[in-house]
Amino acid sequence: MKLLKRVTVSIAAITISFLIGFLFIKWQGNSPVQAFKALYSYGIGSWFSFASTLNAATPLILTGISAAIAFGSGVVNLGQHGQFLMGAIVAALLGAYLNLPGWLGITVIVLCGGIAGALWAGIAALLKKLYSMDEFISTLMLNFVSEYLTLYLATYPFLDPKAYVPATKVIQRSYFMHSFGMLNMSFLVAVVIAFLSYWFMRNLKIGYEFRMMGYNAVFAKTGGCAVEKNTHLVLLYTGFLSGLAGALLILGGTQHRFMKGIGANFGWDGVMLAIIADNGILETLFYAVFFGFLKTGGIGMEFETSVPSEFILVLQAVIVMIVVGSRSAIDYFGDRIRARFTVRKVVTD
Amino acid sequence: MGLLTSLLQASLSSCTPILLAALGGMFTYYANVFNIAMEGMMLIGAYFAVLGSYFFGSWVVGTIFALISGLVTALVFAFFAIYLKTDEFITGIGVNMLALGGTTYLLRNTFGVKGAFISPEIISLPRLDIPLLKDIPLLGDMLNGHPILVYIALVAAIGAEVLVFRTRFGLRLRATGEDSETTRSVGVNPERTKLWSIILSGLFSSLAGVYLSLGYVTLFSENMSNGRGWISLAIIILVRGRPLGILGMSLIFGFFEGLGLVLQNSDIPPQFTSMIPYIATLFALYVYSKQKKKEVLNS
Repeated sequence: MKLLKRVTVSIAAITISFLIGFLFIKWQGNSPVQAFKALYSYGIGSWFSFASTLNAATPLILTGISAAIAFGSGVVNLGQHGQFLMGAIVAALLGAYLNLPGWLGITVIVLCGGIAGALWAGIAALLKKLYSMDEFISTLMLNFVSEYLTLYLATYPFLDPKAYVPATKVIQRSYFMHSFGMLNMSFLVAVVIAFLSYWFMRNLKIGYEFRMMGYNAVFAKTGGCAVEKNTHLVLLYTGFLSGLAGALLILGGTQHRFMKGIGANFGWDGVMLAIIADNGILETLFYAVFFGFLKTGGIGMEFETSVPSEFILVLQAVIVMIVVGSRSAIDYFGDRIRARFTVRKVVTD
Repeated sequence: MGLLTSLLQASLSSCTPILLAALGGMFTYYANVFNIAMEGMMLIGAYFAVLGSYFFGSWVVGTIFALISGLVTALVFAFFAIYLKTDEFITGIGVNMLALGGTTYLLRNTFGVKGAFISPEIISLPRLDIPLLKDIPLLGDMLNGHPILVYIALVAAIGAEVLVFRTRFGLRLRATGEDSETTRSVGVNPERTKLWSIILSGLFSSLAGVYLSLGYVTLFSENMSNGRGWISLAIIILVRGRPLGILGMSLIFGFFEGLGLVLQNSDIPPQFTSMIPYIATLFALYVYSKQKKKEVLNS
């Protein structure tokens, strides 16, 4: 019943968002029918476009579950962007300068990328541990620091002089992740990580403790969780996931190098996904694919009609607002209406 | 002009957007609304200021456009946070994302450019020439000739102190923040007070945006607020909302950002000088938590 309600609310909210998008495109003087047709055919209409959708969803899955696990454990890690960039730059540099046989190299690089993200989040954990600084602001500020730090690395010491924007050298050919048909292996890695995370949040003691901290930190502490220590662990693990997203984008994406702006909006997209999914890991996985569909379809939309692909950014934000708005409104007003009926029943009886 | 005066002048200029946004957030801080949407409100204000200024050839129209956009954004925030009871933090992130996506989209759709829109037809804010001040040697160079909003922001900080601590509105604002149900029992509608605080934060944040796109520079670029809204949020938390404290902290942050600007002429890579404000924020939080620890130990 609860699940049914949630699914219904989500579907209704997304439909409303698309309607708003429809009116918006019309108001801007374009044909909404054509635009949505293009969105469909480029996003999901063929095996080729469906595979592109899944590839586009890969980094989103990982930054999304990073945010979902953090928020679900009551840890406000908003540093996905910075952790992603650190993972990406480490993977790009190792990929360019490390000499290992293909499979071993890929494994080492992916893990190192994840660890780089974990260490970057670890700074926030350390600041929290030593000086009890709130991770909310510190992770945010570290985003900006890492943005400039990685840009510096790609502009000065590791610049590829042949690139037309600040970028590092292309990684070695043997580290390119394999594609099955169109679908890149990095997608499968991301899905496996998502299921592993789901499993360990459900079935391990530490996962249970994380979830209890999200419901009520004081209760968790009273029940015997080491809340402080677990908060640091959550930061490290979610940082690892974001770093992994960055590393996988370098090895399995299309650029195969770190370049200016490669982080795009993956960090904040992840935060939005966690919000829509209400911190559920499998829901995040689903919505990440949905956002991947919007992104891939949006490019097709720009190609076919004169609606710029930036329209998708607006649509995503509208979806977030409407989904969470209707969810909380239904909870709040639903409770009130139910309470009123109860009162009336008591009074008339 | 010496290095020191140019540094101080740059500090005053850089402090203004942070100061304005922080003053806006101060109202919601006192009303106990967890408002993290300053970043987005600033960005929207910056965009509409350029839009109005470009199409009507007047900075006044630009400012009015920005204020209206700030008002609308604030109403959207209030509708979700107050009336639909959506979590304030989530609403704030939603508004920020809407601002980022919306301005990027509109930049592309209206002006047909990606990244940044620069045009000589964007009229920037007038610079104020204060007759007596400009003749004072050091102070004149530092304080004179800034865009008009710099002076408005400085006055507004003092005005806000009076408004919050010396007027009926201020008392109601703080009372709502302390305990909204008690204020309801004495006949003050807490929803309305919260609504006003959000509207004020929208207006101030959009003015911060006007300063960014028509004063600090004369252009609009994607995500040009670049974390200033977050820094202003950190400042509010650091000084626990006091407007004069906000003024002081903003000046310090302005100094660090100005330092970054001045250092850009040196050999240090610009990426490192750009990091300065964010590292300064981390450092300020460190000092704050150290002080707090001491207070806890003493009590």
